[in-house]
Amino acid sequence: MAEVKVTINGAQTSGREGVTILELAQENGIKIPTLCYLTELSPTGACRICIVEVEGSRTLVGSCHTPITPGMIIQTHSPKVLATRKVIIELLFASHCGFCMLCNKANVCNLRELAADLDVGLSPFQTRKRFYPIEDNPYIQIDRTQCILCRKCVRACREIAENGILGIAYRSFDTKIVIDNDQPLAQDTCRDCDICISVCPTGCLSKPKKLSAAKTGKPLIIC
Amino acid sequence: MTKIKTQTISPQNENILIRLKRVESQFGYIPEESITEVAQSLDLPVSEIYGVATFYSFLATKPLGRNVIWVCQNLPCHLKHAEITIDNLERTLGIKPGETTSDNKFSLELTNCIGACDYAPAMLINRDLHGNLTPNKISQILKLYK
Repeated sequence: MAEVKVTINGAQTSGREGVTILELAQENGIKIPTLCYLTELSPTGACRICIVEVEGSRTLVGSCHTPITPGMIIQTHSPKVLATRKVIIELLFASHCGFCMLCNKANVCNLRELAADLDVGLSPFQTRKRFYPIEDNPYIQIDRTQCILCRKCVRACREIAENGILGIAYRSFDTKIVIDNDQPLAQDTCRDCDICISVCPTGCLSKPKKLSAAKTGKPLIIC
Repeated sequence: MTKIKTQTISPQNENILIRLKRVESQFGYIPEESITEVAQSLDLPVSEIYGVATFYSFLATKPLGRNVIWVCQNLPCHLKHAEITIDNLERTLGIKPGETTSDNKFSLELTNCIGACDYAPAMLINRDLHGNLTPNKISQILKLYK
């Protein structure tokens, strides 16, 4: 494999042909934020958080799916990039339900972490919110109001779990994660695989809460 | 539910859209069974075929009426007040977008750009283009369809 010489943030470096900007940046210890990217999955460039500035390029490019080319001059944290990333987070929050204090996954949420990193407070973009009832079975809980449509679960279900149960359907504002052909979540739809839950960057997919009502045995009474 | 046969699908043809289009021309819409069959014959997940079928406005996943109205909802039509057109059609037909009248005469659907921005606001009825729509014009046009 030929070595490709590029400049990242002013420093000369080189990488193997076919390596993406994101991978090369990670090799060089530069942290580019991502939401929809996972090393094991095929890149989709759905979330746009990983955008970087490439000299000569008309627009900012998604670094997770753009391979390096000879002589590329890349800026990963220029003011323009940071400002755009901030707007992207604000746009993701526009239709996200956003009640972090009520969310079980608030402290493991990549979206919230990024919002904190990029100094995003209340989103200036407010739109109607999506409403979907929460679905659950003993293995998984799906709260689509928190979904940011990163498609990680869809790819994990197809590529890692090799089930292909989850998919993405409909268009524009109505786009949502579906099970097969928009079936309701049944008791036996999913088993203990949990892969989609572990890759979900928000609180959309989680383990169902075990309510005390489900406990068996005598209640403990202290007198 | 009775199983609908879709023998016309040849396993050689690997194009999802062509297959879905063929199913639609056979049944008038794409039944759930056909989605499963297309998925099986292409060795793809059902969810993927369903995603494609629901993404396109011109692929119907439920039965439609005799005449189908597609109202454009993209930006140029929106700026020319397409919502007045949609409102007007809703009131005239008594249905919401995505529904069919009880006499099965009209289905009202919203679509993305139909390439008639110079006639905005525009709609298609059974692939006939009607542009520069006004409430008066709409009632005239609807009379043309039986």
